[in-house]
Amino acid sequence: MANALGMYRTVKRLGIPDSNIILMLADDAACNSRNKFPASVYANAGRNLDLYGSNIEVDYRGYEVTVENFLRVLTGRLPESVPRSKRLLSDSNSNIFVYMTGHGGNEFLKFQDNEEVSAHDIADAFEQMWQGGRYNEIFFMIDTCQANTMYSKFYSPNILATGSSLEGENSYSYENDHDIGVSVIDSYTHHVLEYMEGVNKTSRLTMGDLFMSYNVPKIASHPGIRSDLFSRPLGGGENLHTYGRGNGWRHPGEWVGREQERGKTGTEVLITDFFGGVVGVDVEEENGKDATIVEDSPHSISREQNETGKKGVKAATYIVKDKTTSWVDMKEARAWASFLIVGLLLGLVWTRRS
Amino acid sequence: MNVATDNLRDPSTLFFQYDKIRRSIIASYWLIIFLALPLWWNTTSIERLPLPSPNVYAQQERELRFPIKIALDPAFGNIAPSVESELRNVVWQTRQGPALDISVGVGNEADSSDDTYVVLPGETDIVLDGRRMKIPKDHIEPSKLAQILSSLIFPYSPKQEHRVAQYSPRFRLAFTLLNEDASAGQTVVGWDILGAIDRHISPITSAVSILHNFTIESQVQFHAPLAFEPTALEDGTFGLTPEDLTIFVNSAEWTLSSSSSNDPVLHFVLFVPSISRRPLSILNNDGTPSTSNAFLIPQWGGIVLCNLPSASDEKWLSNMDLASPFSAFSHQLSTLLGIPKLPPGIKTSPQNSLLTSWQIDALLRHRMHETVRRTKDTLLSTVNLVQQIPNMPVDEKAQNDVQGALVALDAVWDSEGGKKFNLTDMLGNSARALTFSQRAFFHPGMLALLYFPAEHKYAVYTPLFASAVIPLVAAAIRELLAWRRQRRDANRRDG
Repeated sequence: MANALGMYRTVKRLGIPDSNIILMLADDAACNSRNKFPASVYANAGRNLDLYGSNIEVDYRGYEVTVENFLRVLTGRLPESVPRSKRLLSDSNSNIFVYMTGHGGNEFLKFQDNEEVSAHDIADAFEQMWQGGRYNEIFFMIDTCQANTMYSKFYSPNILATGSSLEGENSYSYENDHDIGVSVIDSYTHHVLEYMEGVNKTSRLTMGDLFMSYNVPKIASHPGIRSDLFSRPLGGGENLHTYGRGNGWRHPGEWVGREQERGKTGTEVLITDFFGGVVGVDVEEENGKDATIVEDSPHSISREQNETGKKGVKAATYIVKDKTTSWVDMKEARAWASFLIVGLLLGLVWTRRS
Repeated sequence: MNVATDNLRDPSTLFFQYDKIRRSIIASYWLIIFLALPLWWNTTSIERLPLPSPNVYAQQERELRFPIKIALDPAFGNIAPSVESELRNVVWQTRQGPALDISVGVGNEADSSDDTYVVLPGETDIVLDGRRMKIPKDHIEPSKLAQILSSLIFPYSPKQEHRVAQYSPRFRLAFTLLNEDASAGQTVVGWDILGAIDRHISPITSAVSILHNFTIESQVQFHAPLAFEPTALEDGTFGLTPEDLTIFVNSAEWTLSSSSSNDPVLHFVLFVPSISRRPLSILNNDGTPSTSNAFLIPQWGGIVLCNLPSASDEKWLSNMDLASPFSAFSHQLSTLLGIPKLPPGIKTSPQNSLLTSWQIDALLRHRMHETVRRTKDTLLSTVNLVQQIPNMPVDEKAQNDVQGALVALDAVWDSEGGKKFNLTDMLGNSARALTFSQRAFFHPGMLALLYFPAEHKYAVYTPLFASAVIPLVAAAIRELLAWRRQRRDANRRDG
């Protein structure tokens, strides 16, 4: 929960208004009577920073956080009665940042305790958003176990994705608060947030710089990037091309789209393209005939929409099975196995009769 | 003894173990299962009504074309052909926006129809009046005239276009008077907003009322801190660098509009700097103060800085005070709505009229082109998505909306080809087409069901049905065998 709230605080600090942020919190931990520190959620065990604070707008909370609602918010297919604050009012000029966290596994993320959203669902939702002209670019960040599998199914253009851990790898929490008995924040998110503290509204740092800052020993998992759907270069200089091959990387870092990176042209993608409310501005001369354009940022982002999807407090690590057989084989095998069982039972009854 | 034999009756003498009854019981189970199969199939399959995809694909190939008739006064008769070819050339080169069929004729004003643009000889200045243009006759070259005409008929450039808000049938205009810090003194406590809107905003909103419906709201706020420190200049004034402007709107702390509806909002902010930071001006890139005190945020709205001369502690902004900010607002509003500016050196008649028919027509053509293009795109994506995602339901409402959009689009084509060419009707139809297509695409029923891999389905169905079906199948087989044995025995006895 501190994960999502931390992201919320960061995007808000960088100038995105509440009306453009959709925050989904599955747990109302802050206002739960068992919370020892009522109405606050702290970012670290030292309780230096209250993330809940006095100025927070949770758009979907508790049982409203469902897979269906999440997909409806993304695709815009909401009933007419839903108020403005619960909608993602983006258009084809909007850059969207989607952050998700919770318990996940291979190609799924758990919502509440009874449903899960799969990588296919999110990929389809993004495709529908693209077709419906609901985004210009998406930055997708996910912090779960096996997070990198969640973005593997995307197929729509202009999506940049990053995740906290490889397939078959756990994401760990950063530290425990012994007074409340739960882990407060995850390592990967903690690391990203810490990096974001050095970013201000007019910063020129690029996404590549953020990716280069990933520190495997500190994060305790291997973050991945997917940029093959993204058309702009990531920045970060020459070093970025050696991403995931340096000190501390026990496995080579996963970067889908590494080969295409050198061929890309255009302006480098800045962190504030997704995290900040920077706008292109035209100054008009009074009574002038033509407006002189004093500042016209190359990416005229009219509105920055941020979507912070999130689920659940992550206290324990998720144990996963190592999957060796490929997906299709498993499916076939199980189908035949179930027929075989029915057949065997029938045969058994038959032989006993005769 | 009797009791015991009574209690242990031969099972075949029990009434429900009579062959006929037992078999009809088993058969009724199977009957119910077979009768329920269609119901099961019906409730688990996704409703996917067919969409008129061939029609949608056919629409893609159609392009909106606008006939434009220009009648030159006989006085210009000698240059008419060269004007026409020049004009075609210019339009062909821009290739932006709607396709135009330009015909330049020579004729009197009297025999031309309403929607013809008439060029008349005039005196010293170029003057627009309705769809008439008066232009000084002397020394007019065909290329110059063609250039003027094209800048009036198609005045859009890509650079302007990114400022224009996307078309919406409804807009909300939110006017906000922001005091940076009222507690510091010299507060603006109110403004004559009604008068200012009447004078500066209403002329624009009523001129484009066939395009948009406007809702206007206004508010005064007394505490609106900036998220950064303005640069202090040497002469004791303060400045905003171009970089500051990009983050000027402190959207985390300012509430600029109510969230009462889902219409797009255009924001207009009159910002009164705190007394300790006056006067506040906008700086150019090189650090010199700009002459302007207003800036525009594309597709979002406009901001005007209001530096009041030192005065009493509380001030009420009168119509006079608001004249200059609101003329900036009206200017910004027309930019945001995409109303083209007149090229320099062209006057309007009567003097005070804000918008000429030339501008309105150009705006209508532009918006119509935009709505038709967006409608076609939306319809195409709807059809493509339904084909692409097999789990996507399509219900009757969505189907009707797609049909409605196609009908409205057809009406647009009809009025385009028809004799009675009417921009307003066409716009109404194209706007309706857009609304329908958007509603179809964002129909809440069109949410693709969750993706279930095949093994999920087996996992759900096997424990549920295997346990119920196995005894049924076994009973049926046993009964069949028993029946066959009975028949064999009967045959043997007979034989």
